[in-house]
Amino acid sequence: MSGIDWAAVLTVLLRGAVVAAVTLTLAALGEAVAERAGLLNLGIEGMMLGGAFSAVDAAARTGSVAAGVLAGILAGLAMGVLFGCLTVSLGADQVVVGLAITIFAAGLTGFLARDLYDGHAATGADLPDFAIPLVSRIPVVGPALFDQNLLVYLTWVLVPVFAFVLGRTRFGLGVRAVGEHPFAADAAGVDVARVRYAAIATGGAMAGFAGAFLCLGDLSFFEPGVTVGQGFIALALAMLGRWSPYRIAAGALVFGLLRALKTGLPIAGVDIQPDFLTMVPYLGILVALVVLAGRTALPAALGVPYARGRR
Amino acid sequence: MRGQGQRSVRASRFSVPVVLLLGVALAVLRPASAQDATPAGGGERVEQIALVTPASRANQGWDQQAVDNLSAVSEERGVDVLVADNAGYEDITPTLRDFAEQGADLIVCHASGYQTVCPEFAEEEGVRVAVIENPDAATPGLVADIETQAQEAAYLAGVLAGRTTASGTVGIVASGQPPTWNYMSVGFAEGLKAARTDAKLLYAVIGEAAYEDAAGAKRETEAQLAAGADIVFGMGDGASFGMIDAIEEHNAELEEGAAPALFIDVIGDKREEHGDVLLTSVLFDYTGVYGQLLDDIEAGAFGRVHTMNVANGGVRLLDLPENVPPDVVAAVEQARQGVVAGDIEVSAIGDADGLRRRLDELLQGS
Repeated sequence: MSGIDWAAVLTVLLRGAVVAAVTLTLAALGEAVAERAGLLNLGIEGMMLGGAFSAVDAAARTGSVAAGVLAGILAGLAMGVLFGCLTVSLGADQVVVGLAITIFAAGLTGFLARDLYDGHAATGADLPDFAIPLVSRIPVVGPALFDQNLLVYLTWVLVPVFAFVLGRTRFGLGVRAVGEHPFAADAAGVDVARVRYAAIATGGAMAGFAGAFLCLGDLSFFEPGVTVGQGFIALALAMLGRWSPYRIAAGALVFGLLRALKTGLPIAGVDIQPDFLTMVPYLGILVALVVLAGRTALPAALGVPYARGRR
Repeated sequence: MRGQGQRSVRASRFSVPVVLLLGVALAVLRPASAQDATPAGGGERVEQIALVTPASRANQGWDQQAVDNLSAVSEERGVDVLVADNAGYEDITPTLRDFAEQGADLIVCHASGYQTVCPEFAEEEGVRVAVIENPDAATPGLVADIETQAQEAAYLAGVLAGRTTASGTVGIVASGQPPTWNYMSVGFAEGLKAARTDAKLLYAVIGEAAYEDAAGAKRETEAQLAAGADIVFGMGDGASFGMIDAIEEHNAELEEGAAPALFIDVIGDKREEHGDVLLTSVLFDYTGVYGQLLDDIEAGAFGRVHTMNVANGGVRLLDLPENVPPDVVAAVEQARQGVVAGDIEVSAIGDADGLRRRLDELLQGS
């Protein structure tokens, strides 16, 4: 197509890819911690929804985005603790509990949004962008990467932080130990239940943070079902990235770029069926799953409840 | 106050025999009353009507409009309403069965995704249903069809966009490719090209049934705005808010004096919250069709195809903002008259392949 400012289009596409990647990265980082500890959290989608609604509700009531983000994190954390109570303390099936939390959260947030906000909860609060001097002026890449809101930058800071905590700290070692061999970890003096609670609380808080980012950092409102399955994509990303925060962030960015490609091709006049274009990002995940099949060893105790003295 | 109290005491002395008499009279007359309830047309009186929608009844779009319109009709006609929203696109048979067990005289299946399951259920259980965009399923006494072919009103929106765009580039963002959206995409494109032959049209689909994907809608809209579109025709339900979000952010970053981008919505009226970016909306008004469905049942004529069009007011444009120039308003009105008179024929294309072919024809050279 002639007459199009391609620099502007590419900037917008890249920027959109980054924003989409942030939501997925936040949720997948938390999921990685939970899975590393042996907890398969299928409630991640519901925790994102809970975080998203709580964030918008708090921001709308206080006029503060910070209060909204905090509320979103706390809501996710609370749902994570609920997941922990049911699966760690009571030994309930993780898959069933996770799906139940997702279905419950979808219903509850939909009901609350309808009851309190007539279905569409707008924040009325704005999260401004912060341009990093010099680098934000680089054509295309600059505004896309370095003229974002603070939550985007915070996400990229969290990636190495999670890598450090999981790989280099005593807590991280405990998480990996209870996910691989909880009996051995217990025998070595690790409090399995406590570590798993901490892991799922982190997973819930990050899912809540992801929901908060979606509705405050990307959009400026909440509506029922707004996460549209991103929690499950994050779950797949955590596994694809083999629980490495760096690989998770890279995978999320690739997914965002594939979505941007899907958006950009029709503008470029490439004549491809919309159905196929819609499929492209998910096809990418499937291809990655096939390529990595056999190379992705799940934590040995993933999904297995632990009870001292019972094997 | 005391006097009133005395009156009520006196009234209560008379009320006991009066109530007894009325009770006896009602008991005696009951069979006759029941007979009277049968409409003169040979059909039956509708007591309860049910509605199943795929998404939230509060999405200010497709689902909410049906719930609101049915509620209005039921209130006017004294009919009870049962609503099951958020039913999704999976098998809704349990919901239909539940409605049937509750005694629904009619079930409105408000999604083109229910085209198959509802007629099948009607045939198996003998319960009346109304479906969307499936005229072949219309069966006397059992299945009625509602054709929400809003292409005519979308054509008017296209004329409006063609006469309003400053950049000459206009976008369509759709949250899927259901027949209803496809009809409107074609109508809009034909109206746009009729009003401005050199207009460029960008067309994007967010995803498969991505009706609530507001973030995806925002990405598509941002890209179209960056590519020069200054008017976006959005069909999204909940996803529409993502489109509006993109336009509002885009306008906030415009240099002073630059013309803001505008949004053309479908189905509902979002002027109250987003009047600053809303150019118009292709309004769907189901009240007429729902009233016809009840009339048909009562007349014993249920089971035909009902079409919502510009002539019968089933679809129309939302009143244009005051700042739309008079010549543009006149052009839209002239097009409306042409559509009603049959001088302008808008293509009715509901399938995705047909839509693609038509858009290719219209956009050759642009």
